[in-house]
Amino acid sequence: MASTAVSSGARRIRRQLPTSPWLFAAPGLLIAGAFILYPFVSTLVNAFTDRRTLVPGEFVGLANFRELLHDDMFWIGLRNSSLYVLGVVPALVLLPLLLALLVHKSIPGITFFRSAFYTPVVASIVVVGLIWVWMLDERGLVNSLLETVGVGRIGFLSDQWLILLSAMAVTVWKGLGYYMIIYLAALANVPRELHEAAAVDGAGPVRRFLSVTVPAVRSTMVLVAALASVAAFKVFSEVYLMAGPSGGPAGEDTTLVMLVQRTGTGLTGRVGYASAISVVVFAVTLVLMLLVLRADRKEES
Amino acid sequence: MPTSRRTLAVAAVAALLLPLSACGSGDGGDGSTDASGKVEGDITFQTWNLRANFKDYFEGLIAEFEKKYPGTDVKWVDQPGEGYADKISADAAGGTLPDVVNVSPDLVAPLAEAGLALDLDKAAGQYAKEYLDGAWASHRIPGTEGTYAFPWYLNTGPLFYNKTLFEKAGLDPEQPPKTYDDLFDSALTIAEKTDGEVATLANVPTIEDFGRYGVPLMNEEGTAFTFDDAKGVELLTRYKELYDAGALDTQALTATPESSGKKFLTGAVAMNPGSALDLANFKKQAPSLYENIGITDQITSTGHVNMYVMGLMVNSQSDRKPAAVAFAHFVTDAAHQMSFAKQVAIFPSTAGSLDDPYFTEEDGTDETRVRVAAAKSLKTAVNYTPVLFSEQMKTELRNEVAKALQGKQSPKEALDNAVKSCDRLLKQQG
Repeated sequence: MASTAVSSGARRIRRQLPTSPWLFAAPGLLIAGAFILYPFVSTLVNAFTDRRTLVPGEFVGLANFRELLHDDMFWIGLRNSSLYVLGVVPALVLLPLLLALLVHKSIPGITFFRSAFYTPVVASIVVVGLIWVWMLDERGLVNSLLETVGVGRIGFLSDQWLILLSAMAVTVWKGLGYYMIIYLAALANVPRELHEAAAVDGAGPVRRFLSVTVPAVRSTMVLVAALASVAAFKVFSEVYLMAGPSGGPAGEDTTLVMLVQRTGTGLTGRVGYASAISVVVFAVTLVLMLLVLRADRKEES
Repeated sequence: MPTSRRTLAVAAVAALLLPLSACGSGDGGDGSTDASGKVEGDITFQTWNLRANFKDYFEGLIAEFEKKYPGTDVKWVDQPGEGYADKISADAAGGTLPDVVNVSPDLVAPLAEAGLALDLDKAAGQYAKEYLDGAWASHRIPGTEGTYAFPWYLNTGPLFYNKTLFEKAGLDPEQPPKTYDDLFDSALTIAEKTDGEVATLANVPTIEDFGRYGVPLMNEEGTAFTFDDAKGVELLTRYKELYDAGALDTQALTATPESSGKKFLTGAVAMNPGSALDLANFKKQAPSLYENIGITDQITSTGHVNMYVMGLMVNSQSDRKPAAVAFAHFVTDAAHQMSFAKQVAIFPSTAGSLDDPYFTEEDGTDETRVRVAAAKSLKTAVNYTPVLFSEQMKTELRNEVAKALQGKQSPKEALDNAVKSCDRLLKQQG
């Protein structure tokens, strides 16, 4: 008796509330709508206005985008953000894989090394950035070491290219542990029999890496490449910390996201123009991701 | 893979656009300028980085006000020094600007243009005569009518120098440079004597440097910048000479106030502008420097040092304008500015206050010597920073100056470009 009541009750709820999946999803959807979808749409709309922080602004059509074409700082930003992708992504696809291979075997004490490699990921980027700034300073640790061995001081933080390279080094160093974890998960799924069979066939460690490990983790490498390139194109903190708020000497180290921040914030911020730059950043990251994923599909077929 | 692709797309969109989501719309309302009526109700008062050192002073001040005007309740909020303009702009755009806000002239300009600052010539004109003429006028905006904040405290900011480094270079540590020409000579001597190891300056010239060198910064109507004239080019040419000789620090092009402060602490740089609060910092962090610290006036070739003006703005959208105006006046009146000046090395903007014996009579200590000298120079000081010079313009100037120092363009080209960009930004603002 009781059990029929319960089950009919359950049926009744199902019949009466076909929307219940939506209700469950509602909190998440609301948050996503308020904090992702709404800002996205409003940025898109703003990109076509001359809105400023305290002035609503008017529709100006493509004027912001036309101005971009003639804005030297925009091209510098695009160059630096693109260089960042080229410099950082290959390193972040390969190095963490090698690191993962190093620590994925179960040797006593290996957990210590895994945690050690992961520590930079947990550390705050600002703290980490400042530590590197101190080390790379004209009179910092690195330069005094270089001086002792007779190389002489190097202006890591005064030359525009060295600043960018130093920032890339920090990004790679900080990202190693994160992508290593992703690779560790993938490596756990590589069948041991394949390695054994390859070894029996006389393949050395390098050959086994190229013919067994790499194909097995290839889709993970694509994932890492996609994640890393999106993150690299949108780089802000590392360069901001190493190059300073003005973006290095004469602003030559400005990245696109730094330009968005500089243009669009403050009491006199040009929200419309900054939104237009954001839209470009979005379009480029979208294209980047499509390219990476497409490369993946091509290789699959 | 499909899941990760979708997740990636969402993550990319989210992370990309979140930074801009904080910018809401400003309604640019048309609050009336009528501030007459009974002084009552709850008001909010926002200061700029003052709680840490002056908590007791402000709590006492607020208690006194609430006692004088029963039925008022002042809520005090303090914002950190960093990112103050961003905080104000977020509040202004979101309609949550406090009733009384601590501002500087360049912060008040965009707020006044957006109709968020109360015109005090209309609402509180009767108080104007209590302040120094120049101070009252400092919160006016070229090209518009009205005064948009009560003048509060003034400061010149001393220039610190390292006597040991001056001595090492064979310079008289008791005769620090006074004008830019002196400064450039000393800087080149120090660089030469130390093989470029010790720089004298850690920062590229700012708009205030151009002002103190005697360069006209803006036309009278406030419609165009003029710092690319012959005098400006001359200043930048001298700076380039310094940079090439190592007298301007090699990292100057990327320096921040913090980084140059640190360089001064470690003795890599011989001079650094600062505030009275820095002395305590030197004492704690660099005792050996503290013993050999020299304090002098800002370098100026015009005879007038730069004056920093703080003001209190009243929110034109406030529901409690009578109380807000009364409180802003209360904080900035002669008696309370004087008592604030006795707490810390700042100077009152009220008429006659600087003639108080506190600012004119030395008692032999370093502290009073600095105070009396600063008060004296303040009487003729100029607020060089053009009210309309925005953050974006500062960046333009800084970048063009950097290109000139690197030799990528001539000083003349650099300043012409900077003026062109700043004029363009000015038009967009207006």
